[in-house]
Amino acid sequence: MRISIKWLFGTLLLAQVPVAWSLGEDGLVLDGLSPEESGIAIFREADRRESGYQDLTVDLQMTLRNSRGAQSQRKLRIRQLEVPADGDKLLVIFDTPKPIRGTALLSYAHKVEPDDQWLYLPAAKRVKKITSRNKSGPFLSSEFAYEDLALQVVEKYSYRLLETEWVNGEEFVIVERVPVDEYSGYARQVVTLDVAELRIHHISYYDRRNNLLKTLEVDGYRKYANRYWKAQRMLMTNHQTGKSTELTWQNYAFATGLEDVRDFSTNSLRRSR
Amino acid sequence: MAGALQKRRGLVFVTLFYLLAGNIHADEQLVFGSFQNSQNATNWASRVGLLLDIGVAVERMEDADGVWYRVVTAVLTDPAAEKVKRVASANQLRYWNITEANTTVVASVANPQAPVRNVPAVRPAESLSEANVQNTGQGRERIRSVDLDLGIETRTFFESGKDGQSRFHPALSLQMDLYRSWDNEQQSFTFAPFYRFDAEDSERTHFDVRELFWSRVGNDWDLHLGVRQVFWGVTEFSHLVDIVNQTDLVENIDREEKLGQPMAHLSVIRDWGILDIHLLTGFRERTFPGRDGRLRPAVEIDPDHATYESAAEELRTDGVIRWSHRLGPMEFGLYQFSGTSRDPEFQLVPLPDGEFVLRPHYPVIDQTGFDAQAIFGDWAWKIEAINRTGFGDRYYAYNAGFERTLVGVMGSRTDLGLVVEYLYDERQEEAFNTLFEHDLAVGTRWNLNDVNDSQALLGVIWDVETDEYIVKLEASRRLGDTWTLLIEGRAFGGADEPDNIFDSLFDPDAKSAAVQDDDFIQLELTRYF
Repeated sequence: MRISIKWLFGTLLLAQVPVAWSLGEDGLVLDGLSPEESGIAIFREADRRESGYQDLTVDLQMTLRNSRGAQSQRKLRIRQLEVPADGDKLLVIFDTPKPIRGTALLSYAHKVEPDDQWLYLPAAKRVKKITSRNKSGPFLSSEFAYEDLALQVVEKYSYRLLETEWVNGEEFVIVERVPVDEYSGYARQVVTLDVAELRIHHISYYDRRNNLLKTLEVDGYRKYANRYWKAQRMLMTNHQTGKSTELTWQNYAFATGLEDVRDFSTNSLRRSR
Repeated sequence: MAGALQKRRGLVFVTLFYLLAGNIHADEQLVFGSFQNSQNATNWASRVGLLLDIGVAVERMEDADGVWYRVVTAVLTDPAAEKVKRVASANQLRYWNITEANTTVVASVANPQAPVRNVPAVRPAESLSEANVQNTGQGRERIRSVDLDLGIETRTFFESGKDGQSRFHPALSLQMDLYRSWDNEQQSFTFAPFYRFDAEDSERTHFDVRELFWSRVGNDWDLHLGVRQVFWGVTEFSHLVDIVNQTDLVENIDREEKLGQPMAHLSVIRDWGILDIHLLTGFRERTFPGRDGRLRPAVEIDPDHATYESAAEELRTDGVIRWSHRLGPMEFGLYQFSGTSRDPEFQLVPLPDGEFVLRPHYPVIDQTGFDAQAIFGDWAWKIEAINRTGFGDRYYAYNAGFERTLVGVMGSRTDLGLVVEYLYDERQEEAFNTLFEHDLAVGTRWNLNDVNDSQALLGVIWDVETDEYIVKLEASRRLGDTWTLLIEGRAFGGADEPDNIFDSLFDPDAKSAAVQDDDFIQLELTRYF
C-alpha cells in the first residue's frame, strides 16, 4: 500500500505520487511502509498539521444523558498552549453547574513520563496535585475519561494501519492504536480518519477485556485560521451502560497571546476565573 | 536605544515588504488596526498573520494625535483581497480599507517619519484587540462576576452539652464573591464577604471579610495587595504548615475555615522554583465558641481579653518567605515564618465571682515549615513538618503518610482512596495546643463519579497511647444544578473521665474529655446563585 514516508522527504516525492495521496504540500506517502510504520506516519502527520497554533482558547459545553434520557449540562472554558519540545499545556475552568464554578484543572502533557495534573478547589483555596492514575476515570462524571480529553501526544500509543475505505467518494484510513501506558483504561482504540485532511471521524474504544466499551462520533469540522480543522460536535456513547455525552465546541480562537509562565503555572491556576 | 533599533528594523521590514509585494498599483490594502504602542502592533500583526495565513506588516505613521503603528496587508489584487476579507470575517477580525493606497503608502515608505494626514488612522486603536477578544469569546477577556452562596445548616448533637447547651444548633451563612478583571486580565479586584448567623451561639454569629484585594500579574510574577486567603499543605487529617491565615474555629473544628489576612504578597516564578514573599500587616485573633456553643473546653474562653507578647499587639507586621519547586514526581515547599503565633497559649484566669476563664495569649514565634508530596502511579506520599521556637520550648512536629487511589473499584465508576497518616508532636503529652501528638489516622475517600458529584470521606484519628479517638465523616452531593447537600459528622471517644475541671484542662489522657458528649451530625444545604 501507498501512503508513505517521512514527510521530510515529502516534497521531493510529491511529483511521483497520485494526487489522492499527496496529502498537503508536505505530503504523506505510505509507499513501502509496514502497517505499523504507516499508522505512526499518519498520526505524526496529523499532529504536524495541528501544530504551530501557539495557543488557543475555546468554550466547551458538555451534555450528559443517561439511558433514560435525563440530561445534565456543564460549561467549561479551555486555554491551551503549544509546547514544541514536550507535550502541550492545558487549563480548564469550570463555569457550571454553579456548585463547581471556579474549579480549574491544569495539565502538562508529556511525551514519555505521566502527565502532571493539578486541580484548584476554590472553596478551600487549595491547589491539589492529582495522580495521573486517574486517567481512566470519568472526566466530570461524563462518558469521557481524562485520557480521552487529554492532549494527544503521538508517543502515547503504538499504531497499526488496518485498512482504507471509500465512503461517498471520500477516502478514509482506519488505524488501530494501543495505549503505551499500563494505567490506560483501554486495550486498544480503532480510529477512522479522512485521507484528505487527516481529521478523526470515529473512534471505537475497547476496554481492558477487549470488549467494545464506547464509540466516539466527531462531526461539524470547520477550518479555523485558514489552517486548523476543528470539530464542533463530539458524541461519546457508552455501549455497556447506554449513557452518552455530547461535547459542543464553540468560539475557537488561535494565537491569543497566552504566555507559558503567566497563564499556565500553578500560580495562574490559583487565580483562574 | 533598543526601541530605536526596533523601529529601524521595522522600517527595513516595511521597505522590503513593499518591494516584494510587487504590484503597488493594484486594488486594495487592508488595515487591521492601529496602535500607539509598537509592541501591541507587532503582537497583533503576528496574530493576524497567523490567522489569515498572509504576510502583514507594521507601519509607523503620525497624525494630529501623535505616532501610530498600524497593521497592514500588502496591496492586494481583487481576488486576493476578497479571500483575505472572507477569512477575516470568518475569524471575526475587523478590517478597514485604505483608499488611494498607492500614493500615500509609497510616501510613507519613502519618508516614514513624515505625517501622512490623508491616511486615516483607525481608532479607538488600543481597544481593537480587546473588542476582538470580546467578540470571539476567547481567553484573555474582561471578566465580571458576582456569585452568591446561601447556606442553611443544622448541627444535631447526640447529647446535651456538659453545661446544658442545646442539642440543636441551626445556622445560616451567606458567602459572596465579586470579581472584576481588566487590562487583559493583568489586573483584577476581588471582594468576598462572609456572614454566619447561629441561632444558639452568639460567638459563632459573625461577619468576616474573607478576601478584599487587588492583583497585578506580570509575565513571571504576581502582586496581591489586600485581604487574602493562602493555603499551604498536602496532608488530609491535620494542617501543620498552614500558617498565613488565622483559623475561623467556630466555623469548623477541622481548622480548614480561615479568616481573611491583610497582606502584601509578591510571588515570582523562576527556573529554580516559585518564591512567595508575604508581609502580613496586622493580626487576626482566633474565633472561639461561646458559652452556649459546643465543641469547646470545659472552661469558657474569653477572647475579648487576649494578650500578646508583642507590644504592637494585633498591629505587628509579620513576615513569611516560602520557596516551592517541582522535581520529577515530587513537589515541595519550604518556608520561614516570623511573627505572632496563630495558635494561642491559654492562661487560666480566676474571675471575682469565683469562676475561671481561659484567656488567649499570642506569643511571637519563628517557624520553619516543610511540605512535600511525591506521586508514583496511584500512590501519593505526603509529609508536613514544622519546627517552632517561641512557643514554650523549641519543638518539632510532623504529619506523614500516603494516599493510595484505586480507580473504578470492583468494575464500578467509583474511585476509592485509602489514606494513612501518622501525626507526631515532639512535646508528646505536653503538647497542649493539639490533640495529635502520637496519633494514627486512617481514612477512606469515596468518589462516586456520578452526575451529582457524590463524594465522601470517612476516617478515624486514634491516639495510640491514650486511646482517644475522633471519627470524621464528610459527604457531599449536588442536588440539581444549583443546590448541594453536605453532611458532616464527628464522634469522640476514649478519653478518661476527668475528676474535676482542671483535670479536663491538664490531664494528657483526657485532652478531648471536654468534647466527649459533643458527637454530632451536621446537614448543610447550599443554594448557589
